[in-house]
Amino acid sequence: MRLQIQHRTTYRYTSPASYSIQLLKLTPRREGTQRALWWRLGTPGRCVEQLDAFGNQSHLLTLEGAHDEVVLSVDGVVETDDAFDGRLPVEQGLSPLVFLTPTPLTGSSSAIEALARRVFDGAAVDETVARRLMQCVTEAVRFSPGTTTVTDSAIDVIARGQGVCQDQTHVAIAACRSAGVPARYVSGYLLSEDANPAMHAWMDLWSQAEGCWLSCDVTQRALAGASLVRLAVGRDYLDACPVRGMRRGGGSEELEVRVAVHEATDTAVESMRSRQIQAGQQ
Amino acid sequence: MRTNFYNEMYTAEQSVRAHYAAFADWLQSRPAGWLEQKRGEADALFHRLGITFAVYGEEQGTERLIPFDIVPRVLTAAEWATLAQGLEQRVRALNAFIGDVYGAQRILAEGIVPADVILTNAQFRPEMLGVRVPGNTYTHIAGIDIVRAGAGEFYVLEDNLRVPSGVSYMLEDRRMMMRLFPDLFSIYSVAPVEHYPELLLDNLRSVAPAGINDPTVVLLTPGRFNSAYFEHAFLAQQMGIELVEGQDLFVRDDYVYMRTTRGPQRVDVIYRRIDDDFLDPLAFRADSALGVPGLLTAYRAGHVNITNAVGTGIADDKSIYPYVPEMIEFYLSERPILNNVPTWILRRDADRDYVLANLKDLVVKEVHGAGGYGMLIGPASSKAQIEEFRARIIAHPERYIAQPTLALSACPTFVQQGLAPRHIDLRPFVLSGREVRIVPGGLTRVALPEGSLVVNSSQGGGTKDTWVLEA
Repeated sequence: MRLQIQHRTTYRYTSPASYSIQLLKLTPRREGTQRALWWRLGTPGRCVEQLDAFGNQSHLLTLEGAHDEVVLSVDGVVETDDAFDGRLPVEQGLSPLVFLTPTPLTGSSSAIEALARRVFDGAAVDETVARRLMQCVTEAVRFSPGTTTVTDSAIDVIARGQGVCQDQTHVAIAACRSAGVPARYVSGYLLSEDANPAMHAWMDLWSQAEGCWLSCDVTQRALAGASLVRLAVGRDYLDACPVRGMRRGGGSEELEVRVAVHEATDTAVESMRSRQIQAGQQ
Repeated sequence: MRTNFYNEMYTAEQSVRAHYAAFADWLQSRPAGWLEQKRGEADALFHRLGITFAVYGEEQGTERLIPFDIVPRVLTAAEWATLAQGLEQRVRALNAFIGDVYGAQRILAEGIVPADVILTNAQFRPEMLGVRVPGNTYTHIAGIDIVRAGAGEFYVLEDNLRVPSGVSYMLEDRRMMMRLFPDLFSIYSVAPVEHYPELLLDNLRSVAPAGINDPTVVLLTPGRFNSAYFEHAFLAQQMGIELVEGQDLFVRDDYVYMRTTRGPQRVDVIYRRIDDDFLDPLAFRADSALGVPGLLTAYRAGHVNITNAVGTGIADDKSIYPYVPEMIEFYLSERPILNNVPTWILRRDADRDYVLANLKDLVVKEVHGAGGYGMLIGPASSKAQIEEFRARIIAHPERYIAQPTLALSACPTFVQQGLAPRHIDLRPFVLSGREVRIVPGGLTRVALPEGSLVVNSSQGGGTKDTWVLEA
């Protein structure tokens, strides 16, 4: 499947900021199940690129001199494998054990441990267990847009009983870790005909039985497939989030995010390609 | 008098040890009341100099004067020679271990340290995997806590490899002794320590990023409300480098700059006195106002060095300590010169069985110390406390280690009733860069309440000048 993505993030400040720095994770991961056919990250200042600890392509943006807005724009087409069934190809690099350690956002409570006991019965972690996890988490934490601030921990979320995709994902990760199953956070895009699509979050859990990561879209109660584009993974939201920044000055801030993900038509891909060629000629 | 511990000054038969003999004679010849008077002078001087270190180590506490004791702790040249060799060996191995853990992970592949002990440890920083640091040095400043249980019996109690503090007491205690008792220093030939700041600066400069000939070094402090702020200011001043807070630094592209009146100046080496968690709010704790946003990216790009390196906490965690002797053999192919305190690892069945059967005689410590349940000191605990701990160990054995209770050595110390033995430890400061260097001695801490084994200043600990005699 080919997915066309347009994503524009605008920060507006009530007074000029003198310095901004943002760590961006807005480039698709290079993984066996997806490839970017064309990708452009537009930023107002200077960017340096670095592969982070989790293999995510990060950009560090620094902006000096008075500015009262920062606009980040992403345009691209990503091709995903139609045969992708949630089982990620084995990669070199980080041991899954690294994703067993709880973080402040994925700590455990008696409610999380109880949920974990309903999911993991000591049997091998496989697709059945993964589906049971998604079922139990979405029952314990009802999807309810607009009920979260980004720093909510899994413990807070399960106590409240509702949240958005990142909340459900954190609870699922916390439950896995409390049961001794490595789990990681995934940030990315989802093909959606929603009127106001947003960025999406899901998780990978480690199946020792299958010897691979099983990617689970908790919110949709489904194993991840070709309609998802993976930008970044990490121990929790903070490792993987698309923008993590600080600034000096600027007063208060208004954030506007627009995301559009469509299935790319051949014409769209062609037009992207010709824009890419033109860009290369300039 | 209790004699079930080693007295630094007296033998079990109450005769003065040879290296304390001249001191004992000198003391004997002082007029009555003279010592009290000198101690009063010392207190007044410390107050006047403003040396009111709040706390020793990492704990939080209120600002107060750390008691300084006027009886020095004396080590012979031969004792120090062994200690110095052992310290250098240990720190070399710990450094190799950290490089390995964030590199090839040979020690995990060989099964010497179980992989999960490292990889699931909260102190393990995946951010450091594959990162090359100048000179492969991670532990630029190490504070190794040592206790003595018998004549030649030194044990390493713990390795402090993150932001060890206390060296300013070592320097100030020496200054104080020389000021109060200049004649003692003509009787004894004491190895100097006052060049420590010079060695430290050399060491920091020697680990600048490649290609930087005249590096800019700064000391990064959390600020004046930190308990060790005096030490930060003192060391920066002694080294002649800038004392900065996070807000004085900024990242542009992937380089670090310091704001100065003449414009931004590039910074090459940061001697940080803040914990990893607070270094960079874009990488670690997002709520940290103490760090420098973007610092980790600059560090990983090799454009700035951070001392001590990020992630050294993996080597001084209590769960790793039991493996240090094996590290020495693995990386250096040498026999350990300094002993570890014998330690039972409760994730091992045989160790656990032994410990559960002997809880009343042992000290049990939680491995990730911040956990809140702290430790069990068997001989000082009630039956109920021991049973409560037993249940915790059975539930999560991997969270605990156990050790015998050690008879720490004691040194005569000036207390209300006159001179009386009080238990002590020793924290030498080991500098690693292009080479390993140690100023002779270190900081001696003393537990002031009678019988107490707790040398921490927050719990009634004081300090002593530490003398290493020149042969």
